[in-house]
Amino acid sequence: MLTAARRAVIRRRLLQAVPVLVLATLVVFGLLKLMPGDIAITLAGENATDERINEIREMYGLNRPFLVQYGSWLAHALTGDLSKSLASGEAVATSIARSFPNTLLIVLLAMGVALVLGIPLGILAASKPDSLLDRVVTSIASLGIAVPSFWLAMILVAWFALEWGWFPATGSVALGQDPIKALHHAVLPALALAGGGLAEVSRQLRSSMVEYLSSSPVRTLHAKGLSSMSILWKHGLKNVGVNLLTVATLLFNRMLAATVVVEAVFAIPGMGNLIVNGALHRDLPVVQGVVFVMVLVVITVNLVADVLYTVLDPRIG
Amino acid sequence: MTDRHDDATLNLEGRTLNRREWLSLTGAGIVMAASSPGAFAQGTPVSKRGGVLRVSGSANPSSLDPATGGAGTDHTYLWTIFDTLVEWDYDTLKPKPGMAEWSYPDAKTMLINIKPGITFHDDTPCDAQAVKFNLDRGRQDQRSNIKADLSSIASVDVTGPLQVKLTLLRPDTALPAILSDRAGMMYSPKAVRDFGNDHDRKPVGAGPWKFVSWADNQKIVVTHYDKYWRSDRGFLGGIEFSIIPELATGLRSVVAGQNDMAYALPPRLKPIIEKSKDLNLVTGPTLYCLQLYFNLAKKPLDNVKVRQAINYAVDREAFVKLALSGMGEAATMQLPKSHWAYDPSVATLYPHDLNKARALLDEAGFKNGFELVVGGYTDQDSVRRGEIIMEQLAKVGIKLKFINGTVPEISGQFFGNEKKFDVLLSAWTGRPDPAMTYGLMYAKDAYFNAGRVEVSPELSTLLQESRASENIETRKQVFAKIQRIIMEQGLVAPLAFTLEFNAISKKVQGYKPNLLGKPKYEFLSMAG
Repeated sequence: MLTAARRAVIRRRLLQAVPVLVLATLVVFGLLKLMPGDIAITLAGENATDERINEIREMYGLNRPFLVQYGSWLAHALTGDLSKSLASGEAVATSIARSFPNTLLIVLLAMGVALVLGIPLGILAASKPDSLLDRVVTSIASLGIAVPSFWLAMILVAWFALEWGWFPATGSVALGQDPIKALHHAVLPALALAGGGLAEVSRQLRSSMVEYLSSSPVRTLHAKGLSSMSILWKHGLKNVGVNLLTVATLLFNRMLAATVVVEAVFAIPGMGNLIVNGALHRDLPVVQGVVFVMVLVVITVNLVADVLYTVLDPRIG
Repeated sequence: MTDRHDDATLNLEGRTLNRREWLSLTGAGIVMAASSPGAFAQGTPVSKRGGVLRVSGSANPSSLDPATGGAGTDHTYLWTIFDTLVEWDYDTLKPKPGMAEWSYPDAKTMLINIKPGITFHDDTPCDAQAVKFNLDRGRQDQRSNIKADLSSIASVDVTGPLQVKLTLLRPDTALPAILSDRAGMMYSPKAVRDFGNDHDRKPVGAGPWKFVSWADNQKIVVTHYDKYWRSDRGFLGGIEFSIIPELATGLRSVVAGQNDMAYALPPRLKPIIEKSKDLNLVTGPTLYCLQLYFNLAKKPLDNVKVRQAINYAVDREAFVKLALSGMGEAATMQLPKSHWAYDPSVATLYPHDLNKARALLDEAGFKNGFELVVGGYTDQDSVRRGEIIMEQLAKVGIKLKFINGTVPEISGQFFGNEKKFDVLLSAWTGRPDPAMTYGLMYAKDAYFNAGRVEVSPELSTLLQESRASENIETRKQVFAKIQRIIMEQGLVAPLAFTLEFNAISKKVQGYKPNLLGKPKYEFLSMAG
């Protein structure tokens, strides 16, 4: 499976990852440092004195030059030590290890919903372009894109959690602890997140499928006597696979970011929650840790997508 | 719904209602209406032991070590694990004995007598050695945030197995109240030594519940300590805090039945609580005071007339109505009416009077008004408060220009070295002893005195005097003088005290609000 071409793709991507990782964390670090106010004031407590605040800056090395602080963080991060939260003393790696699965579960579930519903809808719409069915699907898709996820989340909570009590309104359960409960908690947030994704998958799929169906190879397939169904599902899907993969990859990465809002509505202790709290308290190690891991995840996902491209279309390499 | 929902209700027998009770009853009016008349004749209920209380916690703790933490939102967690040497009366915050009793043989000596039979959760005794260890740690440890609180102590000596003698640098009768706060929470010395800095996250105290786990921004779990030294409290089998900083979301978790209680809610959520038939709304006055801080070193706020004019121009009653949906107390000084040191004669200094405000501005040479730059916060409630004050002061020609940001950012810029903004619209969360509040805000070099100016030598002397006498009546008089100077000089413009505002499941019994507005769980029990 791992042909020379694919190995080259992986090697190239991994090399590109290094500058991306450094640049992303450096920019975030810089932005946080540019923001006024620092964590020393929070750490000094309610009965703060100027003296105590300075003492804390000294104690945590917050007085050191910007690049020295960043360099020290990076050196530790590269050896796998994401250091500790300044605000609470918990190891950042521990926080992330606990939060990431919560976020990942919601994103994967949302991706599942978006793809399982979006693909058939897109193909159905493409099979009869400009029909009533097509227009209904397209309208629903437009609505899905237009509706913000936080609004959808609130509506879902109001009805399915507070009114009917079918699903929990807040919180999450670790998958390892109780898989059924974990899924039960993840359903509403995933649905809120999936709305926009579903719309995007179906619309993109529809347009590439319509384009494919009007191409000359399809005419040949018709001439060979193949059924419309077979053309659509067997040949069509394979041909638009590359497009679909692109859409799915982008969607996954975007959903990872979009969970910030959904996590807030459902009080889910995930990555979004972690980075928001970290940023609010100027807790640099936490914010940096989350960015670091997120960048790694995005790079990995893109890498997997690149390899899959070569599987779907041997011309890519 | 059973008829014993709340000790506050049951304690009414044979007493007239004070303000706190009245408020907690209007708040819990639904409960009263639903209760049978027999509720008042039953006497103290026998609280059931066991059951787990699920609470929506409003913030991740800064630390679970009382000495190294710093956030005012930590106490509600800390109190479950740590008992304090001194406690206070829920209604007035008057100090009373906790794990220890105290006395002052002379002005510069304080004796602490620890009650026998108290053990930490690791079975080590809470004795004189342990108390000395804790006080010394608070005074000297590099990471301690309570050094300033204990700065009047020169030395701590063990004078008996259960007695500690504090030798003081100067008289300090605020110490009992200080020992009811972080400094009085005793941590097992063995655990501090064994765990090193990790002890911040593995607290071992002598409180009713012992620590089980803490996952940042997610959950804190405590379970009942079987050898707890008192049998008249600590009924719950355990408490689980889910940390949900977004308060409306926290309330949602209670409405949905996932949690039993949410606290420190904004009054605008009142209709949601009232709509839910499984919830009680419990309120009580607090020390939490919304106020305008002034930088006294900046023009034109260095002019007393300008500060007085602002105090006349703000309409506090209207502010309570608009900003707090009527659920608050107009603040005429920095203590609410129910506090033991409240002085009614100061309360009448600033009636809402636009003409007087204009006249004062005229005298100060600002007939045509001026502009002030105000620091504020970005959350919905803060912005609304800002708009109300902006509109009120505009009537006397004072234009406010708000610059909003997060709490650490804006307050840091105002109080820290940057000295940005003329005014800060923020809050004072209150302290167990008024001497702490005034010292922290008006001493010359105090952090919360943004201009770092000495207001008057008289105030400085009084601040010291307020810690000199042990007699509560004498102290009351000193505080009245201090409060009068603060208000006559217009060093601050207090606006309103917020109410403690909690949504509590009807399954939960025995909740009593306290003046600090931070929930304590010692008397709670679960019904059924």
